[in-house]
Amino acid sequence: MTFRTRLLLMFGVTILASVAMVVWIVSRSTERAFGRLDQQRTAALAEQFYKEFERRGGEIAAAADRIAKSDATMHIAIDASRGEVAPHVADAADLATAHALDFLELVAPDTSIVSSAQSQARFGYKEAWLAEPVDWNSQPAFLRREELPDEFVLALEAVRVTAAGDAQLYVVAGRRLDQTFLASLVLPAGMRALLYRNLDPTFSPQLLTGVSTDEAQGLESLIKQCIRENRETSAEIQWTSDAASAETFHAIPQKGHDGHPLAVLLIGSSQRELATLVRSIRKVGLYVGGAGALLALALAAWATARVTRPVKLLAAGAAEVARGNWQVRVETDSRDEIGDLARAFNQMTGELSDQRERLVQAERVAAWRELARRLAHELKNPLFPLQITVENLDRAKREHPAQFEEVFRESTATLLAELSNLKAIIGRFSDFAKMPTPQFEPMQLNDLVRAVLKLVDAQLIAAGNIHPEAHLDPSLPSIEADREQIKRALQNLVLNALDAMPNGGTLRLTTRQYNSTVILEVADSGQGLTQEECARLFTPYYTTKHHGTGLGLAIVQSVVSDHHGTISVESQPGRGATFRIELPIIQATRA
Amino acid sequence: MRRFAWRFLAAASLISLAWRAAAESRPHYGGTLVVELHDSLTLTDPGEWPLRLVPLVYDGLVRLDDRGEPQPALAISWQHDASNKRWEFHLRPHAMFHDGSPVTAAAVVACLKDWTNVAAAGDGTLVFQAETPAPDLPVRLASARGAILMRGADGATIGTGPFRITEWQPGKRALLGAYEGYWGGRPFVDFVDVHMGRAYRDQAIDLELGKADLVEIPIGDARRTAQQAVRTWTTVPSELLALLFERGHGVTEDAHLREAVALSIDRSAIRNVLLQGQGDSTGAILPGWLSGYAFLFPSARDLDRARQIASALPKPALRISLAYDLADSLSRPVAERIALNAREAGVTIQTAPGAQATVRLVKYPLRSLDPAQVLAEMGGVLHADSQPGAATPEALLAYERKLLEDFRLVPLFYLPEVYGLSSRVRNWDPQPWGDWRLDDVWLEARTP
Repeated sequence: MTFRTRLLLMFGVTILASVAMVVWIVSRSTERAFGRLDQQRTAALAEQFYKEFERRGGEIAAAADRIAKSDATMHIAIDASRGEVAPHVADAADLATAHALDFLELVAPDTSIVSSAQSQARFGYKEAWLAEPVDWNSQPAFLRREELPDEFVLALEAVRVTAAGDAQLYVVAGRRLDQTFLASLVLPAGMRALLYRNLDPTFSPQLLTGVSTDEAQGLESLIKQCIRENRETSAEIQWTSDAASAETFHAIPQKGHDGHPLAVLLIGSSQRELATLVRSIRKVGLYVGGAGALLALALAAWATARVTRPVKLLAAGAAEVARGNWQVRVETDSRDEIGDLARAFNQMTGELSDQRERLVQAERVAAWRELARRLAHELKNPLFPLQITVENLDRAKREHPAQFEEVFRESTATLLAELSNLKAIIGRFSDFAKMPTPQFEPMQLNDLVRAVLKLVDAQLIAAGNIHPEAHLDPSLPSIEADREQIKRALQNLVLNALDAMPNGGTLRLTTRQYNSTVILEVADSGQGLTQEECARLFTPYYTTKHHGTGLGLAIVQSVVSDHHGTISVESQPGRGATFRIELPIIQATRA
Repeated sequence: MRRFAWRFLAAASLISLAWRAAAESRPHYGGTLVVELHDSLTLTDPGEWPLRLVPLVYDGLVRLDDRGEPQPALAISWQHDASNKRWEFHLRPHAMFHDGSPVTAAAVVACLKDWTNVAAAGDGTLVFQAETPAPDLPVRLASARGAILMRGADGATIGTGPFRITEWQPGKRALLGAYEGYWGGRPFVDFVDVHMGRAYRDQAIDLELGKADLVEIPIGDARRTAQQAVRTWTTVPSELLALLFERGHGVTEDAHLREAVALSIDRSAIRNVLLQGQGDSTGAILPGWLSGYAFLFPSARDLDRARQIASALPKPALRISLAYDLADSLSRPVAERIALNAREAGVTIQTAPGAQATVRLVKYPLRSLDPAQVLAEMGGVLHADSQPGAATPEALLAYERKLLEDFRLVPLFYLPEVYGLSSRVRNWDPQPWGDWRLDDVWLEARTP
């Protein structure tokens, strides 16, 4: 990934992240604001419910009070105290109708029912809860589970006590509490109030007013939790996969006289507005983010172009340097860090170039010095006998003329031998200097290897204890190479290997193909080389042998290099050495 | 002179007032007696009518007097052989159907063709030849089944009673006109206007407003109505209120469950409070005044025994439904009380109006004063595999025991019928069991 691409991505991600964060913060703030509003509306609705509850309870208590104080009730109380209840069995129904009550029971002091409007048949049965030590006349209306012939219902009831002399009568008056009660509440838009009547030990959808069975089942766990914990709880319920269908429900337990939750008031607040708003915010955020991303890309492209242009120039310059062009310069007029970097780069390449020039010159001087040293060393050995021989001739002529002839013959032979030696030394130097340009032509490397082995066959026989091995790849393709130069290089390596095994060993020649190259390995099992020797082995005039000129491997490297190949050596002391030549099958100049 | 004149005028006025008062209290013809019924009658067949209405339009060969003894009606005399198998009935001469045709032995035989071995022996004599002794034949002939009628060309029934059907609106109204040719003499009232399907409450209001002369009063309201100085009349208990466990419902096929329910019912409390002391608690099919042995069937509550039986039953079997007649204001509280009583024993009863239930609260009005016939009809209801044998009290008791032994039918109460009468109805003298005798009733003139 390029630096420019990274910069573009960084810009884009930064802007998108910023927009996303803004959208998230706005969404969260909106949700919190809606949550607070929802709580306020819920509290207001609950307050309205309790006021209506109180108002209706007051009505019921007033009706119970009127009934308790009526002459008819007092007469019933007196008759009941005498055990004459039969004539009044239907009176509660009449009184309930007259006072618009759903439930009315007239109960004797022993809590046996005298008359019941809701269930005329219940006469004589007990309402034991009335025996609690409570001042019923001061008690407000309360919730109660009222038993009807075939069901239980939720009722808002009040109890008053009639006293006519010694005769007493409980008046239990009430009205049904159901969805019609909730219908009187003024509900804000998006809100609804439901009432679950906790009349059965187990949850029953039918006891939840005004909703379908499916909705009731959706609210089941919330209602159960509210009843179980007997405290206000809330939950968000999503009716469909659409988030806008969600509703937040607050479940408020409505307790009876004994504190047991007889009903659960459910105040539902639709999240549709919030979801729509959040969706709009997100949509706007998406648009803004998209536009911002495009703008960011454009700006980033422009900005990164400005920023990365000198960097790209620097990178190109560095690549040129890597390719060996140390003369490269990066043009910049920037005054920022990138400009400083470019100037530093130019300075660096300039210095590198100067240093290389100096190094080349130094190497050249060193090479000349080495050459001079080698020449002096090589030439000094034959020259010294020459000088001695000439001085002997001169001394013989002056001091022993008689023996001059004999000395002359001997000296002449010595001189010729040393001169021949000098000529040979000069010839080798001349050969290194006169390496010709290779003439590429197809050749079989395996054939060449076999030919070289044949050439050194005499040396192998002479050595006696050196075993040649040839591991030649029969499928090795022909390569484009100068047969004579490769032969000379291989012969050089083989002779070096033989020299490296004075005590005998194994000479192993190997060929194989590797991708678009062929590999030729010459391995010996001699004493091996140190790492330092390996590093300096191809330096001209460097030799590890007593009689070597140090040009053999230099020539080999020169040949391989002229064939666009590489040569390397692997060796460890005592484990022999392996020279590996890798040559291209087809020369690049022809490809 | 002036004093004499004043005295004369005063005496004349007094005589005139006394004469008018005497005239108003004397029976006289005319007027329309307005009757309101809760039930709706759709057919003119006497078999479909309440027993009390049948004698208005239809006569039998005999009728029963206040003591239940057979008295002459269309037959003026009868005799039987020593074995009570052969009976001869001599028809009243000059008796006529409402269309003016004479009541002949052939016409009567045609009407009684469902009875066994009846034949005409001349124009005025009928012979019944039974295979077994039939000492109660005259009583049986006095029932609605023994009503003598003929069919007109349009299929309408034609009776011989004191009133003839003048106008018939099925289920709504029946206008009965006085029959001039009635063998017992023309009724005093010109018409009996019967309005059907009237709610009890509406009937009470109409009676109060003088729009009706004879209305029905629910038993639960009987005491209160009487306390309001309304003129009422109550029959002997003649309608059986009972629980009927329908066949084919797995739940109630267990006789132990039925017995538990039967034993849990507190009849006494229901009678004292819901029935306002009216009627009789009973464990028998026949009322005591008819059979004489109803006390042999226990009707007292035994809650401990009921609980014991119910506790041995599997729990799912302890839930049954009880249907009651929504139109009957008494049925609902009685059904609910039974449910409450049963709950104490451990049996849950769900009450509901209608007829679709495993148990029904049913009413069986007494359609005959013949105990054997009543039991035979009840045997049919209960799908009994036999009929009552001899009409002896012992045989009837055994048969009734057999009918009730599996608690398929649980008799609860014998209820009377209560009527409200307007003050202008005079000479109201029905049979104790409810047969109306409106041919002798006359109406006071309405005071302006």
